[in-house]
Amino acid sequence: MPVAFIGLLRKETIQFFRDRVILGLILWLYTIEVVICAMALSFDVENVPMAVVDQDRSVLSRTLLQKFALSESFVLKHQENDVSVAERHLTRGEVTTILVIPPGFERSVRAGNQAKVQFLQDGTDSNIAANSLYYAKGIVNAFVREQFPQSRDTNVVSVTRIWYNPQLTTANFMVLSMIALAGMMVGVIHPAASIVREKERGTIEQLLVTPISTLQLFLAKLTPTMIMGILSVFPSLLIVRAFDVPLRGSLALFLALTGVFLLSAIALGVLIASYSRTLQQALLLSFFGLFPVMFLSGTLTPVESMPVFLQALSYLSPLRYYMDIITGIFLKGAGWMELWDETLSLLAIAVPMLILALAVFRRRLK
Amino acid sequence: MNYRRMTALLTKETRELVRDPVTIVLAVIMPLIMLFLFGYAINLDVDELALGIYDQDNTPMSRMLVDRFASSPYFEIIEYSHSTHDLERSMQRSQIRAGIVIPSGFSRRVLRNQPAPVQVIIDGGYPVIARLGLAYIDAVVASFPKPQPDLVGVETRVWYNPSLSSITFVVPGLFAVILMAFPPLLTALAIVREKETGSVSQIYASPLHSSEYILGKLLPYASVAFLEILMVILVGFAWFKVPIAGSLPLLFFASLIYVFTTVGIGLLVSSIARTQLAAMLLTLIITLMPSFLFSGFLFPIFTMPFGLQLYSQLFPANYFMEVSRGILLKGLGIEAVLPNLLLLIIYTVVVFIFATWRMKQKVA
Repeated sequence: MPVAFIGLLRKETIQFFRDRVILGLILWLYTIEVVICAMALSFDVENVPMAVVDQDRSVLSRTLLQKFALSESFVLKHQENDVSVAERHLTRGEVTTILVIPPGFERSVRAGNQAKVQFLQDGTDSNIAANSLYYAKGIVNAFVREQFPQSRDTNVVSVTRIWYNPQLTTANFMVLSMIALAGMMVGVIHPAASIVREKERGTIEQLLVTPISTLQLFLAKLTPTMIMGILSVFPSLLIVRAFDVPLRGSLALFLALTGVFLLSAIALGVLIASYSRTLQQALLLSFFGLFPVMFLSGTLTPVESMPVFLQALSYLSPLRYYMDIITGIFLKGAGWMELWDETLSLLAIAVPMLILALAVFRRRLK
Repeated sequence: MNYRRMTALLTKETRELVRDPVTIVLAVIMPLIMLFLFGYAINLDVDELALGIYDQDNTPMSRMLVDRFASSPYFEIIEYSHSTHDLERSMQRSQIRAGIVIPSGFSRRVLRNQPAPVQVIIDGGYPVIARLGLAYIDAVVASFPKPQPDLVGVETRVWYNPSLSSITFVVPGLFAVILMAFPPLLTALAIVREKETGSVSQIYASPLHSSEYILGKLLPYASVAFLEILMVILVGFAWFKVPIAGSLPLLFFASLIYVFTTVGIGLLVSSIARTQLAAMLLTLIITLMPSFLFSGFLFPIFTMPFGLQLYSQLFPANYFMEVSRGILLKGLGIEAVLPNLLLLIIYTVVVFIFATWRMKQKVA
């Protein structure tokens, strides 16, 4: 390895570690952001604020209300006698669901006639609305099964086993997906910023007149991000521990595949840097590239729920494969045998992108 | 305030902005990309859940149950396995999300009216999918072999968004996010760049007042921001057919206030940060991330722990989200959105006072 390259590498590393702000941000993304998001963000239908109007006022109707009050999904905020009062709570956004139990409810259930309960749902947040209606129905069904076991004449029941995450805690998933997202953001933004900064200050010309080849320059720009990207996984591992997320697979495999994933992110960063003149442009372009990659990856919303053409596009997002890898290794104990096709797909994205990035980097600098 | 001096600065800023077509084009196109991406991608419904089936019974009865799954729009049968081990492998490789094992003797038990368990294995790695998936599977199993009449029927009425379409919910929220994403960033970078290149000391040396400087700097970016919101409304209305239940002028008025909140935050950031990179990171952490994650845009605030609910109140995107969803979806009038509007106005004024004060310290 030529001396010039080693010197350049040293310069890049020193520059990298001298920039406190950048280091601070990277650490923030890998630690505090992960904690905040894992604690706060969930699509679970929990604590949905609810108003109830019990017009029946019978033992049975109170039992049903009790079921809702005890469920994790709903919180009884208001109990009203009048539907219109409850509706006012809905309009003001204090509650998002109203349960109305009409008069004569108990009588008709006991008589074996079909009785009705009514749900009024604020549909503004369509996801919450759909899910809370679904859970509400589940609670009503469970209530009927419990109170009137003889009413069912089927014996087919499902016995459920939940693998990998038996309590179905969202935090497990969020922690892992935030770590993946942090890797993506740092991997793209950092090389982009460090190249564009040299362009803006004009120091890139000085580097070009030295005997360093563009390939060496390219490698020197890429190495610190790579090292940092892999090192910053370690503080996150502590958080992973703190949230009781298991690491069932091999840590070495995880680090190796993180490296492959970072390559694709860095390639995107270099591409962006090659096309932008100012930091402002580079940052905007990074967002431009990051948003689709992030949103088509299944880190925030499931890929299965997307329309077909977006699902097809999601195969282009390296984050999608990385997400499968990271959940696979941590939660499912997947090893090399299970993950080779994800790895190949990652490589199939990373390698051409790197070659392209190098080519563009070369051409735009000349 | 001197009108002539301010317009001179305004002209300079506008020219600088126009001379950088990449930034302008990106600033205008990004919101549209986000709109399309979110409009189509944010959907937590599960359809076509990837299923693996291991039918040990292999009788007409068990095949009938398999058919129920096959014909339901909620499931897609990816594979028919021949051992639990195969199911396990496919689940580890994320090819299937759930596995169903119909044990041998299933048919006999059903016909003899004995309890006939069906084993369901679900991938808990993605909790959202797992919960809904379980509920859907339960529903299919419970109505087998024949649907049960409900003793207690459930009647639902959905207000404001009866078709439960996610786009109607995403678009009004997106206004709040987009305006928090770009205008503060652009404003902050524009001012900090002058600090970095040193041209800001020329401004300090000129007779320009800090208020003139601020207005001259902000107005071009405020217009870009307003352009962004117009476009999102237009496309949301024309392409995604988002209903407008309330008054459009009221929404524009509220947007105008919010635009000033956002550029005000950009100004505040620029008065704190010394380098463009620092400015960008700071805006990322105090505007983009929270407006996205802690505004109720995607993740409902009521499910957050109490401390983080308070944290989410620190960011103005929250207030504007309520206003724009209130006006567009619920058709609320001025009196209903007034509390949130007032909060926004107070927030903006405080941000401006603080930023101007910091600027003045430097100019003087």
